[in-house]
Amino acid sequence: EGGGGHPPRAAGMAQAEAAGDAGLGPAAAPEGAELAELAAVIGATVPTGFEQTAAEEVREKLGSASRISKDRGKIYFEVPARSLPQVHRLRSVDNLFVVVQEFKDYQFKENKEDALKDLEDLVKKLPWTDPLKVWELNNSLKKKKTKRKKHNLQSPASRGKPSDGGEEGGADQSNTNDQEDCAQAPVAAEAAGGQDAEHPQGVTSRNGAEEEEEEDSEQPAVRAGAQASSESGSKAGEGQTGEGEAKVLRFRVTCNRAGDKHSFTSNEAARDFGGAVQEHFQWKADMTNFDVEVLLNIHSSEVVVGIALTEESLHRRNITHFGPTTLRSTLAYGMLRLCDPQPTDIIVDPMCGTGAIPIEGAAEWPCCYHIAGDNNPQAVKRAANNISSLLRKNESKDSSAALGAPLDVLQWDICRLPLRTGSVDVVVTDMPFGKRIGSKKKNWDLYPACLMEMGRICTPGTGRAVLLTQDKKCFAKALSRVGHIWRRAQTVWVNVGGLHAAVYLLRRTPEPAQDARPCW
Amino acid sequence: KLGRPSELPPEPSPGYEADEEFLRRLHHVLLEVEVLEGSLQCPDSGRRFPISRGVPNLLLSEDEA
Repeated sequence: EGGGGHPPRAAGMAQAEAAGDAGLGPAAAPEGAELAELAAVIGATVPTGFEQTAAEEVREKLGSASRISKDRGKIYFEVPARSLPQVHRLRSVDNLFVVVQEFKDYQFKENKEDALKDLEDLVKKLPWTDPLKVWELNNSLKKKKTKRKKHNLQSPASRGKPSDGGEEGGADQSNTNDQEDCAQAPVAAEAAGGQDAEHPQGVTSRNGAEEEEEEDSEQPAVRAGAQASSESGSKAGEGQTGEGEAKVLRFRVTCNRAGDKHSFTSNEAARDFGGAVQEHFQWKADMTNFDVEVLLNIHSSEVVVGIALTEESLHRRNITHFGPTTLRSTLAYGMLRLCDPQPTDIIVDPMCGTGAIPIEGAAEWPCCYHIAGDNNPQAVKRAANNISSLLRKNESKDSSAALGAPLDVLQWDICRLPLRTGSVDVVVTDMPFGKRIGSKKKNWDLYPACLMEMGRICTPGTGRAVLLTQDKKCFAKALSRVGHIWRRAQTVWVNVGGLHAAVYLLRRTPEPAQDARPCW
Repeated sequence: KLGRPSELPPEPSPGYEADEEFLRRLHHVLLEVEVLEGSLQCPDSGRRFPISRGVPNLLLSEDEA
C-alpha cells in the first residue's frame, strides 16, 4: 500500500481536479460516489473551554454528534467525506485533521527502546487507506481555495505575527495547549526540529533556529518533527495529485506529548515513528515542504494518529491588521455563541480593539446589528481597516455589488457610552488585561465603572453580557458591587496566549438602571 | 439630515410598521448609507460630534466631562 497510489475521483470534486484528471471518463463516477460517502472521522482543535460550543456548532451545521476531549481543546466527529467543505467553514475550530486511529488505553512499555519500537511497529498496522483518501480529497479543496486567495487584496492573515501566541514555556504553566502550538505552525514549520533528530539512514538533520524553546519535562507537550535532508538534492516538483502516476510524497511527523510516565520524548517519538512511515510508504521526509503532515498525539495513555487537513490555523481568518492583543476569531465566535444571539439583537463591543468580536459577529449573525467602539484611535483605525478588508474580500467573490455589513465602528469612552438606557441586547467584550494593556491598578477602577455603564445600556431582564478577562480577582470584586444589575450565569475557563483567563456569561436583572451616571 | 428632506418625515407616523414604502426608505438610510465625513448632533445640547473616514468620534473633551 502506498501513499502516492491511485488518486480519488469524487463526483462533486470532478471539476476541481479537472486539471490533473484529464482523460478520465465515466468509469470514474462510481468510485467518486463511493468516496463522497466515505465516513471520515475528523478531529478538530478548538479553544480550550469551548469544546461544548464547538460540538454544538458541529451538530447544527453538519448534523453529527461529537466526542469531546474535555479541557484538551479537541473534539471528534464523523462526517461523510463530501461534507469536507462545510467542515472547513466551521467557525469554532482552529485546526482539522482526519483520524487514522485512536487508542484509548495504549500501554507504553517502560523501557524507552521498547516503547519506541512499538510505535515504529504500529505504522504498518494502521488503517491508512481511507484517511489518505480523505486527505487527497481535502487537497483538491485546498487547491480551489488557493486559486481564489490570489484575487484578494490582502495577504493571508496567518502571515502576521502571532500576537496572542506569546511566549510559551515557563515552569508554572502546566499542560501546554495544542492550539497554541498550532497557532505557531507557520513559525514551527521553519523552526521545528531544533533538537537533534537523526534519520535512520544516518543522514544528519539540519537544525533550524529554534524559536520556541521548550523544556521537555513530564508535563508540557513538545512539538517536534522527524526530519531528514537529502544529500543528493531534493526531487523536484511537488507534482499534481491526480496525475495517475504514483509520485513521491513529502511528509513530516509532528508529535505532541503530554503526561508523565513516558520513557521517551516527543522528539524521539516523532523521529522513530517518522522513520517507520518513511519506510512503509517510501515517502520523503521534508520539514518545510511537506504534502502530508502526520500527527502523533499522545496524552498519557491516549494515542491518536492523524493526518492534518489544515495548514494555516483558521483562527486569524478575519483579521489582517493586528493589534498587540488581537483576539483569535475562534475564541470570539465561542464568546458570541454563549450570548445566544437572536435575530434583530443589538450587540455591542464597547472595548473592541481591532474588532475581532464584532467582525466575527457580523459574519456569522448577519441578522443582528453589531456596534464596535473603543477610545483608542489606533484600535478604531485598525478595526475600520479590518472591516474594509473583509468587505473587499467578499466583493471579489461575487460579481454583484458589494453588500455592506450590519456593523459600525465608533470612537467612544466606555464610561460614557452614547447609547440610550436599556437599548442594547448583548454586550460582548475582551476586557483589558492588566499584563498586556493598562495596569492592574487601573483595572480596579475601570471594572466597576464598565459594569455599571454596560448595565445601563443593556435591556433589563433579557440583556446579557459575555466578558473575557484575565484579572479574575478584580472582576469578581467588581461584580459583587453590581449584583443588583448583573447576575453570573456561567463561567468558561480559557487559555489566551498562555494566560489563564475566564469568560463570564452574565444576565441583566429585571431592575431598571438609573439614567444619571455616577461619577467614578 | 442627509440633504434629502423629502424622503423621511421628522417623526414616524402611527402604523409605520405596515408602511412598506416608509420602511424601505428607513432601511436605506439606516443600513445602506454610510456617512464618511460629517457630524452627529446631540438633540439636547446641540453639540456636534465629528465623523471622519466613516468613524464618529464621541469622546468628550476634558471640560465637558
